Amino acid sequence: MKSLNLKILLGAVELGLIFGVMALGVYLTFRILDFPDLTVDGSLTIGAATAAVLIIQGYSPWLGLALAFLAGGVAGMITGVLHTHFRIIPILAGILTMTGLYSVNLRIMGRANLPLLGTDTVVDSLRSLGIPAQYGWVVFGLLLAGAVIIFLYWLFQTELGLALRATGDNEVMIKSLGVNVNGMKILGLSLGNALVALAGGAVAQLQGFADISMGIGMIIAGLAAVIIGEMLIGTRTLLRALIAVLCGSLVYRIIIAVVLRLGLQTTDLKLVTAVLVVLALTLPRFGFKKQLLALGGWSRASVEKGN
Amino acid sequence: MLQLKKATKVFNRDSVNEKRALHQLDLQLAAGDFVTIIGSKGAGKSTLLNAIAGLWFLDEGKIYLDGTDITNMPDYKRAGLIGRVFQDPMVGTAASMTIEENLALAAKRGHSRGLKKGINKSLRSRIKEELSRLGLGLEDRLSTPVGLLSGGQRQALTLLMATFQQPRLLLLDEHTAALDPKTGEKVLSLTEELVAESGLTTLMVTHNIVDSLKVGNRTIMMHEGQIVLDIKGKEREEMTPQDVLRLFERNSGKQLANDRMLLVKNRKSNGA
Repeated sequence: MKSLNLKILLGAVELGLIFGVMALGVYLTFRILDFPDLTVDGSLTIGAATAAVLIIQGYSPWLGLALAFLAGGVAGMITGVLHTHFRIIPILAGILTMTGLYSVNLRIMGRANLPLLGTDTVVDSLRSLGIPAQYGWVVFGLLLAGAVIIFLYWLFQTELGLALRATGDNEVMIKSLGVNVNGMKILGLSLGNALVALAGGAVAQLQGFADISMGIGMIIAGLAAVIIGEMLIGTRTLLRALIAVLCGSLVYRIIIAVVLRLGLQTTDLKLVTAVLVVLALTLPRFGFKKQLLALGGWSRASVEKGN
Repeated sequence: MLQLKKATKVFNRDSVNEKRALHQLDLQLAAGDFVTIIGSKGAGKSTLLNAIAGLWFLDEGKIYLDGTDITNMPDYKRAGLIGRVFQDPMVGTAASMTIEENLALAAKRGHSRGLKKGINKSLRSRIKEELSRLGLGLEDRLSTPVGLLSGGQRQALTLLMATFQQPRLLLLDEHTAALDPKTGEKVLSLTEELVAESGLTTLMVTHNIVDSLKVGNRTIMMHEGQIVLDIKGKEREEMTPQDVLRLFERNSGKQLANDRMLLVKNRKSNGA
């Protein structure tokens, strides 16, 4: 077996940090809003497509990121409206948006693959600050993921954020306290998908291309990060839960890197990811649970059973 | 204060399961009225509260609160005026959120929610102060997730949340029924205390005839979506639980079908 050298580890950390932002978006919809949102596969790609097209046309890569964020927000909003105003069940609402986005993304890109050759990336502007090229993406990933975690931590403690969390926890209760839950769901889905698309915009720059199929299976990858993080680090406090998601993303990417070194093909990765999620979901039930509870404090599920 | 005019609601209209839940119901509450509602299962007690809270809209009739027509106002907007406590202690609180976060949510009932910090110093000290009145020691557990509390504690907390931002109207739907008798009594006396303190106009559904006469200043009995008995003042003071049961049978022409009520009846007649 070839050893996991530093370069590969660095690559995994870069991906783990950037996709950590996507995982935080998935955490927002899946966990905070309790909404199984499948828009993600489409909104990651719309982020990548938007950023890639803008960069190719000579606009700043930062503007690419900003508009990727907005495009994802619109995608999430559509899923939200489909669910709240047209009464379509969450899973189907997400699938419908995701399916529609496939065509939209092709329209944005003009073809199935857009290479970004010799174009500037957001990391190039960091290099001028004296950060070594080798660590550019790690630094950028840390800054971006850190900023998103701080933002979400702040948001979740505002009046609005409390109402958002309560919407996912207990809809009847928060309605009886005068909150328009439809509005909250649209807001949460919008923000969650905006974060996913932001990650997409960064991934396109990191990998040097945008591809129509890059979003496939991303929802499960994001979920893997969320669940692995919760299993390893726990959700005892809000900040801890957010950091857990990022760590889960890092662990997931490192596992993927190791699996690739073991000789599996990139085409096998979807299966590996699916198995990982199944393991992370079921292991706690086979005796792991006690150790995990001691390790990571309570999870939402255990609290509800605890009554 | 609160007025219902010819309120009518039919569920599953034109099907085999058609259910006339409210029928041409008229009800008027004066400010500060504390009304207890009794009636057998399916009499329309909860339906009446849900109609006022706006869970769905009436088929016919009007609802006015403080002179405002709220008949077609969506539930979350009415919620700014109305505090609610449900039968199930799990329904009134958010399990994954802390005690103080739950109360902070309640503190904003009827107000817009922005990007200001949800809990500031002055709110926290008020939360502590209010919690200490429950006598449950919750004021020292502000950051405990509500999911770790017992049903009785959660119900007491829900009651505090419903009255934290003084509502125009308080709706209590058998809110002690799911608790053990001792805890239920505690929550009920807390209810009386909170209501009396702010002179809240209150509607309380109960299955307990003794409580229905003891608590509040007025008692109504429902049957098949209508009010069949409405007593207050001297008439109510002189009423015994047995009288209520007799009146119910006379008004509805039926025996009470609710086994919990029958238990009360038997216990009382045996004891007498």
